[in-house]
Amino acid sequence: MTLAHYMTVSGLLFAIGVFGALTRRNIIGILMGIELMFNAANLNLAAFNRFLAPAGVVGSAVTLFTMAVAAAEIVVGLALVMAIYRNMNTVYAEDINLLKG
Amino acid sequence: MDGLKLLLPEFGLSLMALGLMVCDLFFDRRAGKALLALGFVAAGVALGSLGLAYNAPEAYSGLGTLWAVDPMSLFFKAVILATTTFVLMLSIDYKPAAELRHPGSFTALVLFSAVGMMLLVSATDLLLIFLSLELVSICSFILVGFERRDLKSSEGAIKYFLFGSFSSAIFIYGISFLYGALGSTSLLDLRPLLGEGPALMFMVGCILLLVGFGFKVSMVPFHFWVPDAYEGAPIPVTTFLSIAPKAAALGVMVRVFNHLIPHSQLELTGLFSLLAVLTMTVGNLTALFQTNIKRLLAYSSIAQAGYMLIGFVTADAMGREGLILYTFVYVFMNLGAFAVALTLGNEEGYELEAFDGLSQRNLGLALLMTFFMLSLAGIPPLAGFIAKFTLFAAAVKTGHVWLAVAAVLNSVISVYYYMSVVYHMFFKQARTHEPAPTRLFVTGTLAVAAVGVLFIGLYPEPFLAVAHLSAEFLPSAAALP
Repeated sequence: MTLAHYMTVSGLLFAIGVFGALTRRNIIGILMGIELMFNAANLNLAAFNRFLAPAGVVGSAVTLFTMAVAAAEIVVGLALVMAIYRNMNTVYAEDINLLKG
Repeated sequence: MDGLKLLLPEFGLSLMALGLMVCDLFFDRRAGKALLALGFVAAGVALGSLGLAYNAPEAYSGLGTLWAVDPMSLFFKAVILATTTFVLMLSIDYKPAAELRHPGSFTALVLFSAVGMMLLVSATDLLLIFLSLELVSICSFILVGFERRDLKSSEGAIKYFLFGSFSSAIFIYGISFLYGALGSTSLLDLRPLLGEGPALMFMVGCILLLVGFGFKVSMVPFHFWVPDAYEGAPIPVTTFLSIAPKAAALGVMVRVFNHLIPHSQLELTGLFSLLAVLTMTVGNLTALFQTNIKRLLAYSSIAQAGYMLIGFVTADAMGREGLILYTFVYVFMNLGAFAVALTLGNEEGYELEAFDGLSQRNLGLALLMTFFMLSLAGIPPLAGFIAKFTLFAAAVKTGHVWLAVAAVLNSVISVYYYMSVVYHMFFKQARTHEPAPTRLFVTGTLAVAAVGVLFIGLYPEPFLAVAHLSAEFLPSAAALP
């Protein structure tokens, strides 16, 4: 296993995440795509730490922070989804079109 | 550890915010305005404590492991705190006390967001930049959706959230590449790049970072969330979002790209000039067709961000000075315009028709709005003109003449939609003849904003001097290898 393997996996993960976030109609699905993108970054950071800067722990430390932040972000997101479901009875992005942007 | 006292304003505000959150549980609605006022006083005191720094800059600057307090960050902190103070003032008058919901939490979220921005502008490490950017974003998501039963508010919040977290994910992915290229996340000990691989990773990292920042400063083509989030949010939150996070993101961008550009093989300044022209043009052209004052000001703020991006193109102290002055002036202009919209909005909504015949109902308010609109359009002798002049002059001096020409043309386009608001106020029949309401705190904000706009316009020298001082980094670029 070399660095290139890890980077390929993380690149694929990121691409799948972006694709999911842009094409999903369900807001929960979009959130899952975004979560994949965060995990791609985590994988990258951990791999770089192991292969390029094995003396330090900065990469792993950033990974831990990212995981916590991503969790906090998703909590807020799900709360907003709950609020919109109570108001509009839908979690599909195309039904949420009161504002014209 | 000694240097931690430099972060006292941040600590103080965080404690205050935590306290306010607890208070929210125990006080009923009648005390709501008191909680807002408490937050307003806290932000004001923090702003005052920063004022001390201008008397003795050496004593108030220093370097931590992840942050640097220097003239640049002090300036942006002052801008952020001033905005926070005035926004909390405006929220006191936003609604009658009986309709306030969780005023303590609202104030706490605004203060947390302010703390995040203050950390953001002094961060010198990609980790702290990411964390504080997230603190700001997460608080703003909740603030936009604060009117939980209002459909538009929830919708604006969910759209803002989806775009915001998407951009955060791109941002952290970019950080991972920069870490791979540099072997550290600190901006201060960048080592030269060795070989093809790191150079490529560095380039990818820079681009992804720029995309992440682009979302936050509403740079075209990453601006789609702006009008919806601004329209959905309660108007004090819109005021806050249109000024403070934008200033903070620009502040941190100045720092980050000042360190990164010398290492980059990619022509980043060319990219910036393209983005600047794109942002101002799209912002201005779309603003022409808006009929809602919140959306109009949203597109106007996109266009203004485009002007501010010129500061990056020149990539020197002069561009930074122009950017700093522009940010400072922008606070007053936008604050004033939103304060007028807030006064009318509660009874009459935010369509442009709410302004019909305002001159017959309240001449003072109509004149003030005209004043702010003229300043936003950049008509001399108001502050907006001085700010634009400084920025465009910086562009011309560094040989980007076509950029300055594009910016001037854009300012001319913008006059049309700013003046359409004035047209509504002076040349349309009023629907009612009741005098428009005047409220204490809104009037206070308007007075400060108007005096600021007029004074900076007529006597800009002291402000230019402040901008000149603030354009300095603590670990200066020259001292780096």
